[in-house]
Amino acid sequence: MLILKAVSLKPLHGYGVLLRIQHISGNVLEIPQGSLYPALYRLEHQGLIIAEWGQSENNRRAKFYSLTAEGRRRLREETAGWNRLASAIAAALSTTSEEV
Amino acid sequence: MFPRICSLFRALTWRRDFEEDMNEELRFHIEQHTEELMRSGMSREEAGRRARIEFGGLTSVAEECREARGLYLFDQLERNLRYAGRLLRKSPAFTATALLTIALCLGANLTIFAVIDAILLRPLPFPDAARLVTIFNTYPKAGVERDGASITNYYERRGRIPAFSSLSIYAFGTAIVGEPGSMERVPITRISPDFFTTLGAGPAFGRTFTDAEMTYQTDDVAILSGAYWRQHLNADPHVIGRKVQVNGHARTVVGVLPSSFHFLSSDSQLYLPLASSPEQRSPLERHSGGNVTQMIARLRPEATIEQAQAEIDAQNTALEKSDPQAKEMAAAGFRSLVVPLHADEVAAVRPTLLLLQAGVFLLLLIGMVNLVNLLLIRASARSKETAVRQALGASRRFIVSEVVVETTLLTLTGGLLGLAIGAGGIRLVAALGADRLPFGARIAFDARVAGVALAAAVVLGFLLAAPIAWFNLRLRPNDALHSEVRGATAGRGVQILRHSFVIAQIALAFMLLDGAGMLGLSLKRAMAVSPGFRPDHVITAQISLVGNNYPSPAAGLAFAERLEAGLGSQPGVSSVGVATNIPFSGRNGKSAATVEEYVLRPGESPRGHYSYGVGGDFFRAMGFSLRAGRFLTSADSRSKARYCVVDEDFARYYWPHTNPLGHRLFQGSEPGPAAEAFTVVGVVGSIKQAGLTDNSAQGAIYYPYIDHADSNIYVVVRGSARAGALGRMLQKTAREIDPELAINDVQSMDGRIEDSLMARRSPALLGGIFSAIALLLIAVGTYGVLSYSVAQRRREIGVRMALGARPGQIRGQFLTLALRLLAGGAALGLIGAWMTGQAMQAVLFHVPSHSWMILAASASIIGVVSLAACLLPALQAARISPMQVLADQ
Repeated sequence: MLILKAVSLKPLHGYGVLLRIQHISGNVLEIPQGSLYPALYRLEHQGLIIAEWGQSENNRRAKFYSLTAEGRRRLREETAGWNRLASAIAAALSTTSEEV
Repeated sequence: MFPRICSLFRALTWRRDFEEDMNEELRFHIEQHTEELMRSGMSREEAGRRARIEFGGLTSVAEECREARGLYLFDQLERNLRYAGRLLRKSPAFTATALLTIALCLGANLTIFAVIDAILLRPLPFPDAARLVTIFNTYPKAGVERDGASITNYYERRGRIPAFSSLSIYAFGTAIVGEPGSMERVPITRISPDFFTTLGAGPAFGRTFTDAEMTYQTDDVAILSGAYWRQHLNADPHVIGRKVQVNGHARTVVGVLPSSFHFLSSDSQLYLPLASSPEQRSPLERHSGGNVTQMIARLRPEATIEQAQAEIDAQNTALEKSDPQAKEMAAAGFRSLVVPLHADEVAAVRPTLLLLQAGVFLLLLIGMVNLVNLLLIRASARSKETAVRQALGASRRFIVSEVVVETTLLTLTGGLLGLAIGAGGIRLVAALGADRLPFGARIAFDARVAGVALAAAVVLGFLLAAPIAWFNLRLRPNDALHSEVRGATAGRGVQILRHSFVIAQIALAFMLLDGAGMLGLSLKRAMAVSPGFRPDHVITAQISLVGNNYPSPAAGLAFAERLEAGLGSQPGVSSVGVATNIPFSGRNGKSAATVEEYVLRPGESPRGHYSYGVGGDFFRAMGFSLRAGRFLTSADSRSKARYCVVDEDFARYYWPHTNPLGHRLFQGSEPGPAAEAFTVVGVVGSIKQAGLTDNSAQGAIYYPYIDHADSNIYVVVRGSARAGALGRMLQKTAREIDPELAINDVQSMDGRIEDSLMARRSPALLGGIFSAIALLLIAVGTYGVLSYSVAQRRREIGVRMALGARPGQIRGQFLTLALRLLAGGAALGLIGAWMTGQAMQAVLFHVPSHSWMILAASASIIGVVSLAACLLPALQAARISPMQVLADQ
């Protein structure tokens, strides 16, 4: 989900995805670098993201990932699902003894 | 799913690109990270090292990426394939045996399946063909099982049976077409206007017939088949309105059918209106179908056959109230049956085809059992290797997939070889007469059949893999490693399994041999039946007397007499005759007759008898035997008095206790005026009318040609000259008299009888071929198992011989084992053969369902083959040298 979110903002190469996730999560989440690529390949295989070769900031050939329509829909669904889950858990945790 | 398959496909086809891209991408990542670390103040080497550490193992990441793309399975498959290929190449004898087994078994199955597919499975080439039915009248108690449907039936039923959306009638026939000088006889079909509507397929252009064209005055129209239009009218697009000459009359072309139009097995060139007169449509003609006119109908989408049958029955009952013949018809067991058109067309060949498929499936079973056994032996020999690999951590999935890949590689390769064998086999069965079966022309080696065969090969691969995988997984590494070291014998379970497979194989082969034996014996018994006349040295041909030269039976008679005179004077010809039909012609030719003063018993109805109009010296030419009185002669066709000859069956039925000579009878199902009576002047021996295995004593009547005339006549010539010479002589003489005549179907009488046995000979021959293959397979199978058994017990044998066992004892031990397997197989096979016999009763002729003679013969053949196969390994066992075995340890 985080990867989808990361590439949803603008096309990114693998390293960019890593930085972006660290950035948007406020350096809380750190992904093991090696496991990023299998995940990217899996998402690409599922048709959620699409890869294109392009120029990186320092003019190197790099593979940029962007979201497909299918991926966009999946991101929406997962975000909604996550929000529901999170608010349910939050509600559960904030329950006080009187309410039971 | 789709994008995944696309992405996997891209990755597979651009494998090199995929790898390069992936490596570049991963390298890029590490370099980026390195640069960033350097920016935070690290040295280049240190930064590079840290980047690589943080990234993790490059190779394992790459492997995970490949796996994410689904490539992993293919990599494994490729490795397995290469491994399996290497293994198979390393043991060429095994591989060749296995491939040959699979190829033979699959090829034989493919052949028979192609026939079954074409004849039984493939639907008729019409939309919603399952809704097409045929309706025919049957009079079982009068000995007439099938009498088609009459024109009256058609006009009475049309539009009045709610279960049918459309109903029509047709009659197959032949006609002479073309201008004088280039006339030829072609098959035609006469049809009612709704024929094409019923089938759901009609003319490519032009129109169908109209109701107005169904009378004799207005029926001068024709619809052409696609083939006729192309071959004879140069595919003229403006053919509508042109004239074609049919039987000497001009008819206007009103439509052309597409080339794809095929009705049942007919190859009709022309379709003509089935014209009739008001008399032919009257209730008096209701029962005169004569199996010439046939009815087809299409069920409404919601209607069932049962519903249609009920409606037909109800209508018959209602009509019979006013039917003068109702009582006789009820006594004859009259009913009109509604049956699916396709099933009806193939009903006669279905049991034989299914039997052959069962036989060939048995063969496949034998082959597969054989292969499993050989594979098990191989797996046992490799059990140490498998055990080591399992001990080293090979997963169960890996072990199974390896086996599956190997067996599937075997069966698929064998299947490809089998395709070649099947293609040859299809040609063989066509030559054996399969192409003359209904829909036989559809039998072909095509993509559909090949696809089924290859799919079957894959399924077989998986089935074969199952016991081997089970064996491999069951191996406990510890035991397997030990058993090799200590020289113990193999696991008992596997040994029992192997032996039971041999027993099963022998039992299956037993069933196959027994079945084939019964078919063979049945053929032999059928061939031994005397046709009741002397068919040797007889040539027959069919001539159609149509056109302006033959307006009346008298003109036909005149032609016949000139022909007899012309042929009779030729050297080498002893007698010549003509008749409206001959035995074994494939025509039915039954019609009703009424014996004067014969009172029907309660429940008895007028019977249909084989009826012939004969001229010239027909009886001598055919070699009939005279029992009483005299034969008919040419003079009887001219005399005013009417005479006839009957056969023994007829005489015995009507005059069991009196002399038949002098009695009188009438044509038709009712007595006529005295002037139309025929006096019986002779009795001839009964003959087989349609086939040697007929056992209906239906009776036959021979009238003078002039009184039972037909425009189709058969010429019968007996002579000492060779068959070919007689045939040429016949054609030449007929052409000299009338060059425009079409002469067809020139064949010796022996040949006609041979052909009538095709339905028995071909299955017997195929059964023989299958049995031979089965014997070969069991020989290979028993040899394989026994010789493995010997090899495995070399140490034991060596030790025993060192301790003083004689070679004879060792030999005896293995022969006893072989005998035990054989006895087990024979016992099981006996049960199987008994069931086979029961199932085969329908196709057997004068052979009991369990003939001890055939059983004993099958047992001894199998015994000899499998014992011979055992002898070699047993002798090898006896020659084992103790010194060498112990030295091997």
